[in-house]
Amino acid sequence: MNAFLAIDTTTGTSVAVVAGDRVLAEINVDDRMGHSENIGSALVEVLKRADVRASDLTAVVAGRGPAPFTGLRVGIAAAVAFAEGIGRPLFGVVSHDAMALAAFDAGLQASAEHPLLITTDARRSEVYFTIYSGLDAHGIPTRMTEPAVAKPAALEALLQEQGITAQTTEVTMSAAALGRVAQSQLLVGLVSDDVTALYLRAPDAVEPKARGRIGKAVS
Amino acid sequence: MDFAMRPAVEADLDEIYAIEHASFGSTAWPKQMMTTELAPSPNRNYFVALEGDRIVGYAGICVVDGNHADVMTIAVSAEQRGKGLGRALMNRLISVAAKRGAREMFLEVRADNPIAQTLYESLGFAQIDLRRAYYQPEGIDAVIMRADLSAKVVELAQQAIREPLVLGIESSCDETGVGIVRGNTLLANVIASSMDAHARFGGVVPEIAARAHLESLQPTLREALRTAGVSLSEIDAIAVTNGPGLAGALMVGVGAAKALAVATGKPIYAVNHLVGHVGVDVLERGEVVTPTIALLVSGGHTSLLLVRDLVSDVELLGETIDDAAGEAFDKVARLLGLGYPGGPVIDQAAATGNPKAIRFPRGLTLPKDMEKHRYDFSFSGLKTAVARWVEVAEAKGEDFSIGDVAASFREAVVDVLVSKAVAACLDNNVPRLLLGGGVVANRRLRELAAERCEAAGIELRIPALSLCTDNGAMIAALGAQLIMAGHEPSTLDFAADSTLSVTSIQTS
Repeated sequence: MNAFLAIDTTTGTSVAVVAGDRVLAEINVDDRMGHSENIGSALVEVLKRADVRASDLTAVVAGRGPAPFTGLRVGIAAAVAFAEGIGRPLFGVVSHDAMALAAFDAGLQASAEHPLLITTDARRSEVYFTIYSGLDAHGIPTRMTEPAVAKPAALEALLQEQGITAQTTEVTMSAAALGRVAQSQLLVGLVSDDVTALYLRAPDAVEPKARGRIGKAVS
Repeated sequence: MDFAMRPAVEADLDEIYAIEHASFGSTAWPKQMMTTELAPSPNRNYFVALEGDRIVGYAGICVVDGNHADVMTIAVSAEQRGKGLGRALMNRLISVAAKRGAREMFLEVRADNPIAQTLYESLGFAQIDLRRAYYQPEGIDAVIMRADLSAKVVELAQQAIREPLVLGIESSCDETGVGIVRGNTLLANVIASSMDAHARFGGVVPEIAARAHLESLQPTLREALRTAGVSLSEIDAIAVTNGPGLAGALMVGVGAAKALAVATGKPIYAVNHLVGHVGVDVLERGEVVTPTIALLVSGGHTSLLLVRDLVSDVELLGETIDDAAGEAFDKVARLLGLGYPGGPVIDQAAATGNPKAIRFPRGLTLPKDMEKHRYDFSFSGLKTAVARWVEVAEAKGEDFSIGDVAASFREAVVDVLVSKAVAACLDNNVPRLLLGGGVVANRRLRELAAERCEAAGIELRIPALSLCTDNGAMIAALGAQLIMAGHEPSTLDFAADSTLSVTSIQTS
């Protein structure tokens, strides 16, 4: 059994154990603030429900975002540490890919002409977005654009400019879908060990005005 | 013998129960009762003995009325008997009972088990009673035994128990630290600092610090394990800072530590960062001699603590009401165009300056302030005073020495820190002062503290600088102290608390 533990904290706390295309268990805690509180018990519970021991897992998958900063980091940190703890590989998956997979699973049909637009809340009246043309032959969502962040109006203008009539759908983030994307990617050698967080924004920090040296220099 | 021991957790139930059932047969406890016994409790302590990651024995005590302890149960799996595990478990129970204040300890043992009775006698137990036909349905008598937990009995037990191997994770500010200790012995102290990334901002930027923690996590963890020469499977427990500190930064360490605990099946201890700065002294001195006053000075904290007992009684006497001392150094260094971090560059500039050239104000030292804020600090006014002084001098077109400004500013900070710390020692009749935090790197602080402590007959402790700055070793050391004192692990649900009070030494 090739059982993956998938962890995603881009919205709430979502953890799942998947084997191939089968979801052995999934826990979703819909709390957008308490990721660091919830992650420990969610992990214990998902292993229990999947009836696997930590040492039975063959890899850990981290949801890389895009997402606002604080919550996203908790899930990636947990995935990094869990993989170290069991001495197994760590993979990174773009969280929007998992949402796209869930949308296609639900029957949505997309194409380059009528692609799927995934958007998530980026706060500060902005959205994170990624555009998908469908699933490839291996069942992996195909990105037309890399994840980005914009004001809704700017996104609208961009779509218009490129002549894209995008479809949207209600879909919630699921670690099970994240794990399944990684499983499909692994089969065709496309899985990535890059778990870099997709913040897509520089930290808020203002450099103070440079101040020249004052007074008498002291040797 | 290569067995490990750690506090039992509820997840151990099935493995423990398998041994219970095999060992006691018809007199085994019902599983429900075992579940209750293993649940976190203020007066019970259960331990498991491990071979690899398999539980091969367990034992528990209940401390009653704070002065006597009952052995609730003890068992070792059949194939592991005769290897000293029962003795090791008993030594742990005796040690914990004594640390929790028990002066005598009781147990009952089957009259048809002479091997166990001999073991207990060798540990200081003697028969005090016999209960006829206590074990049913066989009708076996119970021998009631008692041990006086004299200093000698306890010392033997403490020497015998293996000290816990603890991995500590620290991420409260701009240092990602992973440390590993065995009891009071330092095995690894690896730190990745994001200091350089903050330099151009003239102070720690929380978001930059938090991002850096995530990136440093894996390499720091691996390097610590490599340095200590241990694998994660050998670790007995994980300790992590859950506050006080920068919220986003703390959450990285907390998330990682919880996942590591679940992945390895090890217990977790959520510990207080500031108390960690005090506890680090065990790594150099084998213990924290208490009571002691502790002065913790860093870029994030300026706190004066009265530590009566490291793992159970820490009181906050005072703290800064505005900027931390390290922050004041950074701000004044920026003001003087000296660079970042402020401590070392001000030290350097001050080396040739006259500390008495300018009399900068000493915050919260006026009689009216001393009434309300006897042990509190304030550096914001001092920073403004330096800025005003420089402005005035520049406006007048006067030539002045940066060295004099730096030295006079540093003197004002250090004078207040040391004066209040020494006053805390004298007021509380505590002849000990421990320094901690990154600002301890400041040469003048160490110098003046040494001078004034000697004059006042106060013993001064300054741990090595690598242990004074934020680090994971101090967190591991505090975790080990908690374990050795018989504290239960934390649950997995604790939060990162940016304003965690020092009285909360461990978050359950």
